[in-house]
Amino acid sequence: MNISYLFAELRRRPGRTLIAALNVALGVALFVSLQAYATGYREAARAPLAEIGADVIAQRQGAVPDAFEGIVFPHPTAPIHRAEIESINSVPGVEAIGEAVLFWDFESDRFLVGLGLDPAQTVGPGRLRAGLRAGRFLETGDSGVAVADTTYAEQSHLTLGDSVSIAGQSFSIIGLVDTSQAGQVASANLYLTLPDARAQAYAAPNVRSVFGIRADDANVLFIRADSPQATAVAEQVQSILGQQAIVTTPRSFDQVLGATFSVIDRFGFLVGIAGLLIAMAGLLRTTAAGLWERRRDVGLMRAVGWRRRDVSRQLLAEMLALTGIGAVLGLAIAGLVTFGLGFSRVTVPVPWELSPTPHFLPGGAVNMAVTIPLGARIDPGAALLAIVLALLAGGLASLWLARRAAGIKPAEVWRNE
Amino acid sequence: MSELLRVEGVRKSFGAVAAVCGVDLHLMEGEALSIVGRSGSGKTTLLHLLAGLEEADAGHIFYRSRDIVGLDEESLALWRRREVGLVFQFFHLIPTLSALENVAFPLYPERIAPAKRRERAVVCLDQVGLAHRATHRPSELSGGEQQRVAIARALVHQPSLILADEPTGNLDTKTSDEILTLFGRLRADNGLALVIVTHDEKVAAVADRTVHMTDGRIDQ
Repeated sequence: MNISYLFAELRRRPGRTLIAALNVALGVALFVSLQAYATGYREAARAPLAEIGADVIAQRQGAVPDAFEGIVFPHPTAPIHRAEIESINSVPGVEAIGEAVLFWDFESDRFLVGLGLDPAQTVGPGRLRAGLRAGRFLETGDSGVAVADTTYAEQSHLTLGDSVSIAGQSFSIIGLVDTSQAGQVASANLYLTLPDARAQAYAAPNVRSVFGIRADDANVLFIRADSPQATAVAEQVQSILGQQAIVTTPRSFDQVLGATFSVIDRFGFLVGIAGLLIAMAGLLRTTAAGLWERRRDVGLMRAVGWRRRDVSRQLLAEMLALTGIGAVLGLAIAGLVTFGLGFSRVTVPVPWELSPTPHFLPGGAVNMAVTIPLGARIDPGAALLAIVLALLAGGLASLWLARRAAGIKPAEVWRNE
Repeated sequence: MSELLRVEGVRKSFGAVAAVCGVDLHLMEGEALSIVGRSGSGKTTLLHLLAGLEEADAGHIFYRSRDIVGLDEESLALWRRREVGLVFQFFHLIPTLSALENVAFPLYPERIAPAKRRERAVVCLDQVGLAHRATHRPSELSGGEQQRVAIARALVHQPSLILADEPTGNLDTKTSDEILTLFGRLRADNGLALVIVTHDEKVAAVADRTVHMTDGRIDQ
């Protein structure tokens, strides 16, 4: 195999080189870009949970209250008892649990969503601390105080130091917080300490009338799990909470992202592989056509004493070089496509169950959503796989073509001219 | 002078067409032989048989007493690489390579250092008076220059035998004369044996001996 002849062929037949390399490049770019797009979507799907620091959210479907007066539990948030929480805590792979009590409060003149949280917890709404805009956040031991969502505070003309009455108890506003910082999961208008929320719920007639609530229950659990075991943890939680369990995992968000993501997620790899194979067929066709044009050159090689294997090696090296150039070009194109995808944003709907509002209120059934940049990035494994597949397919096709070419008999070529 | 080539009863047919019908020939070391015949007389097929580019249906071709008929393709390729230089009517230069690279082309499969290969190609290109055109590609050379590059290519591996098929068939008269003069000089300088196939008696005159060919047979 002669390198200078190889480069002369690539350099001095620019049209053929470009078309052959582009064939491969487009296949590689399609494959890698699709994987990058799917990766971006998958990461976007994890954003709502990632922002709240949980891998799994556990709730339980319950009954609709008899009357919407005072404090009630939204029906996807039936109480989860202490024993069940302890069982979940002992599931292998569970690293931490953040407990919360989510409730609706129907007063004669207004409605609000309240959430009781443990300020010391780093899993779950405790992370709202990072979204503090004014005042201070809740601290362990606080009582009779609340933190308000900035949007709610603005709409209700609330400011620091104001009081809000919940089921007859007054809560002083000590801070304002941007709820969107917590992935819109279990978002509320007012945030109380967990003991205050528990006490309110335990005493609420319209909670007690439908649930056998206990004083230390929670109704939303934010679970951080060891990543490889997250699926197993979700299954175990489902098993502990029974048939009424609502267990949310990143996969749950995949499902609400819609048909586009489903197609990319399920068929992206196959489409990418198909694109790669079509590209290699294009390379084969271009090279075969080029070889037909060069049959006189191949005839000359044989005439001046090149053996079949000399011819084969030379042509094989040429085609592999074209494949390699195409693969590198394809990665560069995929890089540009991925860079471009980074400018697009994806809206991830948050299932209603995770931030329930009453359907019968204006705008109540509207699902919340998180809009984030599509963090598409090239997966090194996919890039490597694309290159290996391209070289493998290109190598096999080239081998076949090179062997055929090496069989060209010079006298036959010249006789037919 | 010893015998370089002996052809005995060689035959070649393409289907029902008999191209070469029992040819006998011999060639001594350093001798020049011209084979003259009209188009279709079988002279090019005979040259291809002598070069091992066609497989004879019958007969023997002894090169330095070794019968090359029946050798496999790879052995024939190696034999050509070491012993035979080929010159064609249509030059058959590689369009993507420079004149110097074309001259070095037969050496590419050899395990020769690039510098050494280049040195040998430069010497041959100089022998045909084209050292100053070394970097030019075939499309930048005249027909005569292209043929001189092809002749230099035939010399680069220092063969004992040059087989030329209508080497001036694609050139004007003046350039043809230059090429024939070049052949004469190269023979004298290198002691090469030469077989020229031509339809032109003037070209044939450069040889020491001429045979005529009609309908696949050497005229007696």
